[in-house]
Amino acid sequence: MNSAKMTAIKKNPIAARKTGPKVNTKLIAGAVCLGLLMLIALSPLFSNLILPIFGLTIEPPISNLSAVNLAPSLNLPHILGTDALGHDLVKMIAYGALGSLSVGLCSALVAVTLGNIWGAAAALAGGAIDSLMMRLVDALLAVPSIILLLTLSSILSAPELVEHFPPFLLKALGVTNYTDGLLPYFIVILAITATTWLESARVARARVLAIKEEDFFLAAQALGSSFIELLSKHLLPALATTAVVEGTLLVSDAIIMESGLSFLGLGLGPSTPSWGSMLKDAQSCLTAGNWWAAVIPGLLICFTVLSVHMLGEGFFASKRARGKIPS
Amino acid sequence: MILRRVLAAIPMLFLVSLVSFALMRALPGDPVDVMLGSSQKEMPAEDLKLLRQEFGLNQSPAKQYMLWLSGWVKSDNVASANALGRSYRDGRPVKEVIIERIPATLTLVGVALLISFTLGLLLGILSVILNLKNKTADSAVTAALLALYSAPNFWLAFIALAFLASPYSAALIHLPILGLHPPGAEPSLAYAAEYLLLPAIILSSRRMAKVALYVRALALDELSKEYVVSALAKGLSLKSVITNHVLKNCLIPVVNLAGLSLPALIGGSVLIETIFCVPGMGRLMVESTFGRNYPVLMGLVMLYGTIVILANLLADVLNNVIDPRLQQ
Repeated sequence: MNSAKMTAIKKNPIAARKTGPKVNTKLIAGAVCLGLLMLIALSPLFSNLILPIFGLTIEPPISNLSAVNLAPSLNLPHILGTDALGHDLVKMIAYGALGSLSVGLCSALVAVTLGNIWGAAAALAGGAIDSLMMRLVDALLAVPSIILLLTLSSILSAPELVEHFPPFLLKALGVTNYTDGLLPYFIVILAITATTWLESARVARARVLAIKEEDFFLAAQALGSSFIELLSKHLLPALATTAVVEGTLLVSDAIIMESGLSFLGLGLGPSTPSWGSMLKDAQSCLTAGNWWAAVIPGLLICFTVLSVHMLGEGFFASKRARGKIPS
Repeated sequence: MILRRVLAAIPMLFLVSLVSFALMRALPGDPVDVMLGSSQKEMPAEDLKLLRQEFGLNQSPAKQYMLWLSGWVKSDNVASANALGRSYRDGRPVKEVIIERIPATLTLVGVALLISFTLGLLLGILSVILNLKNKTADSAVTAALLALYSAPNFWLAFIALAFLASPYSAALIHLPILGLHPPGAEPSLAYAAEYLLLPAIILSSRRMAKVALYVRALALDELSKEYVVSALAKGLSLKSVITNHVLKNCLIPVVNLAGLSLPALIGGSVLIETIFCVPGMGRLMVESTFGRNYPVLMGLVMLYGTIVILANLLADVLNNVIDPRLQQ
């Protein structure tokens, strides 16, 4: 018997049962990588809010036309080089991380919340309302997400519609006659949310339907628990676990979506850099052999998606091992 | 069973059409307002009224919706062309503008689907075999697949494009890029195959990694089942157990994944077509988004939705054919 065959048999639970807790390497690695990325993303805020207290400043990336397209080198001040407008890439990456990660986190948060409320409401309502609510989700899921994303971002940013936005919202976003302020940021998050909440609505509905049939839930109902009690003690804790897993995976989806939108020029606008918009700007000078401005942000997107993915999977595995999520 | 699936697809199609129509009408102002912009102030009121009548905008929303829907199935005439709307860009009927873009996209997505599943299956099997023989090699393959899975398609696309355009690549490979045929030449299938190869490979990369990882997880799961041990104990070789038993059991979820992959590949084709200048639906989508060409946009949403629903239906039917357990 060859060794491969032995391994195949050893894999088998009858031949050799794996026992004892296993260190969840994925969870740890994902958390560490994500922590590192958050640190990069927070560094602009840190340099803007905290360093000035001590009398120190770090300049935001400014274009410097005497130092364009410098290759990465060990010479200070441009370790990672500069882009076509002479922005220092290290600073651009930090500011881009703020844009990319905040869009990812915000839209995942809103999407998971909306999806869970929608799905749970459908499951609790039941009957015709349930099927109507879920068929709408199915119909929207049938349209590829980027198609919906492009359509929504086109419609939401239409001047005819923006005129009808409530004035307090426009004021809060800093929209004036001269600048769009944070409006593109708001629209990108809205469009990404509107395309990503669907899957979590489905999962939440299935979860609530399953819990509704469980003995402990029926017992609680029979003992006369109020609706609020049922919701806060039984439904929400169960939904929260799945929501965290979905949420982490949605963050990586949202980051990729944002980079795609920014790449097309429908992203966060010129005042807010993101990794996607860096890629867009780098595309034009790539053929001249200036690879660094295009390769580095792309690698960072890969790295972020990978670590978010690991974190989500690790979390899922650890919860499943404890029986919190049905396998 | 199959009939029930087909019947279930009809309300879905209806809802998709309703959603795309509602999105178009969510904007303040009607198509005439959007089309004419500020220049409508200079137009006489009767002309505007006539134009609205021509577009059927004087009718109730429900009637307008029915008119819009019928525009898809009716034969080409002026009324149906107006019901679906005309492209704001050149005034041609939406149906005509969209239909001429379908073949390029379907070819690209079809080739990408083929590549991602053949290569993905092969890599998945390779990774399973490596897992049994050489753990380090398996970890390396898995890590590479994960990295490929997390790389955005459009990024890979323009890196590849820059590489092909650079002087270094000329000695290595010669692949035509951008468009569907050489400038000035008649479009033909042979040219299309040559020009679409690189876009299709890049479009399939994420899917391929996903398929490979999925097959690996499925096969390793199957390997831990009792029937594998009894088959090995019976004296069958590992190779025949994997090919005859394990892979057969993995095939059903993989076919299912193929149906689910289509929306992702079609979605991915939007950016790939834009980068490689392929004249397909995706590029039309991006052009219409920028031009705020709403009639074309909504027609595309409807068409994309229809293609995906039909693909899912096809996957269901295929599953029924290959999995005898589902037929009961």
